[in-house]
Amino acid sequence: MAKFLEYVPGTSFLHRMNPSVKLICAILFAIACFTTSNLVFLGVLLAGAVALAVGCGLGRETAGLTKAVFAFSLILAVVLLLTTPTGEPLIALPWGYLGTGSLLAALTAIARLEAAAIPLFLVFYVTRMSDITNSAVKQLHVPYKYAFTFTSTVHFIPVFMNDMAGIMEAQTARGVEFDGSLAKKLRLMMPLCVPLLVSSVRKTNSAAIAAEVRGFNLRTRASGYKDYPLRTEDYLALAACILILGAAIALAVTG
Amino acid sequence: MIEFKNVSASYDGELAVLRDVSFTVNDGDFVAFVGTNGAGKSTTMRLVNGLLKPTAGEVLVDGVPTGALKTSELARRIGFLFQNPDRQICCATVREELLFGFRALGEDGPAAEARVDAVIERFGFSPDAEPFLLNRGTRQLLALASIIVLAPPVIVLDEPTTGLDFRECEKVMAVVRELNEQGTTVIMVCHDMEVVGDFADRVIAMTAGRVVADGPTFAVLRDPAVLAEAHILPPQITAIALALSDELAACPAPVAAANTVEAMADALAAAAPTSAATPAPAATPDRDGAGVPDELGPNRPGQTATPGRPAPAATPDSPDAEGVR
Amino acid sequence: MIQFRDFSFRYREGADLVVRDINLTIPDGCFVGITGAAGSGKSTLTYAVNGIIPHCYPGDFYGEVVVEGLDTMEASLTDLSRLVGSVCQDIDSQMVATVVEDELLYGLENFAVPREEIPDRVTEALAAMGIADLRDRTIDSLSGGQKQKVAVASVLALRPQVLVLDEPTAELDPASSVAVFDLLARYAREHGTTVIVVEQKIALLSDYADMLVIVDGGRIRFADAPEAVLAHADELLALGVNVPRATTLVNTLADRGLYAGPTVRTVAGAVTAAKEVLA
Repeated sequence: MAKFLEYVPGTSFLHRMNPSVKLICAILFAIACFTTSNLVFLGVLLAGAVALAVGCGLGRETAGLTKAVFAFSLILAVVLLLTTPTGEPLIALPWGYLGTGSLLAALTAIARLEAAAIPLFLVFYVTRMSDITNSAVKQLHVPYKYAFTFTSTVHFIPVFMNDMAGIMEAQTARGVEFDGSLAKKLRLMMPLCVPLLVSSVRKTNSAAIAAEVRGFNLRTRASGYKDYPLRTEDYLALAACILILGAAIALAVTG
Repeated sequence: MIEFKNVSASYDGELAVLRDVSFTVNDGDFVAFVGTNGAGKSTTMRLVNGLLKPTAGEVLVDGVPTGALKTSELARRIGFLFQNPDRQICCATVREELLFGFRALGEDGPAAEARVDAVIERFGFSPDAEPFLLNRGTRQLLALASIIVLAPPVIVLDEPTTGLDFRECEKVMAVVRELNEQGTTVIMVCHDMEVVGDFADRVIAMTAGRVVADGPTFAVLRDPAVLAEAHILPPQITAIALALSDELAACPAPVAAANTVEAMADALAAAAPTSAATPAPAATPDRDGAGVPDELGPNRPGQTATPGRPAPAATPDSPDAEGVR
Repeated sequence: MIQFRDFSFRYREGADLVVRDINLTIPDGCFVGITGAAGSGKSTLTYAVNGIIPHCYPGDFYGEVVVEGLDTMEASLTDLSRLVGSVCQDIDSQMVATVVEDELLYGLENFAVPREEIPDRVTEALAAMGIADLRDRTIDSLSGGQKQKVAVASVLALRPQVLVLDEPTAELDPASSVAVFDLLARYAREHGTTVIVVEQKIALLSDYADMLVIVDGGRIRFADAPEAVLAHADELLALGVNVPRATTLVNTLADRGLYAGPTVRTVAGAVTAAKEVLA
C-alpha cells in the first residue's frame, strides 16, 4: 500500500487529467460540500467521490483515509449531537435535549467532511508531485516558490510519519507500551516530539540547501519542461464540478 | 535462548520478506547476520524483539512465543540498538536518557539511579550534557548505554558501526565484546566484514529472505559458495589466505588458515625461506597496540613448498589463527 | 582546477576554526577521496567547494577557495552550482520528486536547459548510473542503493565539471557501495569530471581515488596518491583513520624485514607480496 498522500503510479482517467484542473475540481467539489446541508445530496456526493476513488484502483488508500477523516469528524459529530437541540426530542440532557435534528446535524457533518476530503486527497494519490507544482506555476500562475514550498510540505508528511513510526518503534523496543487508551498513547507520544522535531529541522534544512544547489533560485515560469494541455475530459470534469457547485448553491438557497 | 521455527514474515500482507527461516541462538552467543541490503536481516531483528510478528512459524524467546509476551516483558529480555540513534534518544540530558528505560518499565528508584551512575562512570559521559548536541559516535554510545543499563540478557544491534569512524567503531564494539564476555547474548547485523571477523563467533548469512549458511564465523566466511550466494566479500586477511591457498601449489597450512594480520604475518615469517635469518623485531607496532605472542606462529620449518603436498582445505576453526587480537 | 589558498573557516555558532590553513590544488579530472575521523572537518571542505560555505552556512572565512576560476566568496551560489554538482549526505531529504524521471528533470528545468536537450540528458544520466529501467518508478519503492544512484544521476544530468559527494555509501552494503563507485569513476573518466568524495571506507576509497586527503583536527595531514598515504599506516591509525588490513599486513612484513617492495592497498597486492615472501 502506498504511504499517506504518496503518488501511486497508474493510467486511470484521473491520472491522465490536467493537474491544475484536478486541483480546481477538488476544491470546487469541497466548496459544494460545505455549501449544502442537504443530507441526501451530500450522500450522493460522497458516493460519487468513493466511486471515483475505486474507479482509479485506489480503494485501499481511500479506505484508510476515510477512516482517519471519520475519527476526526466523529469528534465534531458528538459535539453537534450534544449542542444542537432540534427536532423531536429523543433523550433529555441537563442542558437541553438530544433530538432527531441533532442526529441529522451530526450525520451531515460526517458526510460533509468525508465527501470534501476524498477528492482533495485523491489529487495527491493520482498526480506526481512535480506535475502539481509545474502545472500550478504554468497555468494558474502561482509563483514557483509558493508552489514548491506547498508540494514539498505535502511531500514531507509521509517522511515525517515514517520518522514518527520509527521513533515509536525504537521506544517500544525500550519497553514503552503504546497500546492502550488514546489518552495514554498521546501522553507517551509527547516526549517523542523532541526527536521528531530534531530530525525534521535537520531534514528540512538539508532539503533546502540541496534544492538551492540544484538551481532552485533560477526557476522561472518558462523553465518547465513538460506541457500540461487541457483536453476535452478536463473541460468536462470542470463543467461537472461547476454544475455540482451550482446545484449545491441552488439547494442551499431554496432549501 | 531465541528460536526461529520455520518463520515467514511480510509487511502489510505483501510479498514475503522472510521465507521459512529457522535457527537457534543460545545464551552467550555472539552471532552476526550478514548479506546484502534487502536480504531480510533487519526484518529478522524486528522479529526477534517482537516489533514484527511472523505470518507463519514461531519466534520463541526463552521458550515463549513473542506474540504472548508484553512489550515491556520483551524489552526487559532483549535490548535493541537501532541503526539511527536519534530515533531512540528523546530526553533532555544524558542522565534522563539513561533513566528513561527504567521509567518505561516502572522500575525507577534508588537501584536504577545507582546503575545509571555506574554506566555514566563506565562510559565517561557528562550526565548533564544535552544528547542532541553530542557528536554522532557519542550519541551511538549513549543509545547503546541506555539499553545496557537495563542489563537485558540479549542485545540486538542493527548496523552498530554505520556512520561511525574507526575510533568510534572500536569503542562501541569494545563495549559489546565486554558485555558478551560477561554473558550477554549478542545478535548483530553488520556489513563490515572486518568487524564481523574480529568480533562474532558465529555467522548467519542471508539472501532473499532465506538463511544460506549458519556456522562458526570463518567456516561461513571461507565458504566460496556462501560468499557468492550472499554477495559478500570475506575480511581482507581471509581473502588473502583463500587466494594464496588457491594459487599456490603448496600453501603452508598456517598461511591458508590465517584470519588475522598477526597470524598471517607469523605464518608467512615461519614459512619464508629467509625466516631463520631474520628474527622478528621485538616491537612490531600492530593495529591494536597489543603485542603478538611469539608462540602463535606455529614454527614448523621445512614445511614450505613440499612438492606433492595437497593444498590444505580451508580449515576454519583453527583457534590459534583466529582467536587472538 | 580547484584551489584552496590559506583557507580557514569558523561556523558562526562555533568557537573554534573547523578547518585551518588549507592549501590544496586539485587538477581537473582528478578523483579525490577525503577521509578523517568524525569532526575532523572533512565535510566542511566539500561545502567550501560547492559554495554552501559561505553562502548557506555563514561564518568567518579566511583565505580563498577558487573553483574553475570562480572565487567562491564572490561568486553566487547559483553560478557555483552550474559548475559543481552536489550529492548531499541525506539523500532522502534531497529528493524533491515522487518519480525518478521527475527527480532528474528538476535540476534541468531550474537551470533552463534547452527543451530539446532534456530527453537525451535524462537518458544519458540514467544510463551512466545503470538505472535506465527505473525511469518511471516511484522513488519510494527503491532500495537504498538505487536511491543513491538516482541522486547521483540527477546531478550528472546537469553535466557538472566538478562533482561533490558526502558519504555516498554510508547506508549501503559493500556490493552496492562498489557499484556506485564503479559507475561514478567510469563516468568521471569518460567526461573528465573532477570528483571529490568524503568517505569512511578507506579501502573502497583508495581503490578509486587519484588523490587521498587525510584531514585531522581541521588540517590536511596527507594529500597524495593512496599508496603514498597508506605507507604511513601507523600515523593514520593514530589519527583514527582505518587502514586496509592488506596494507597493515604488508607493512608488518616490511617491518619484520621480510618484504622490501612498495606499500599495497588491495588484497591482490598483498597476495603478490605474500608470494614474494614465500618464494
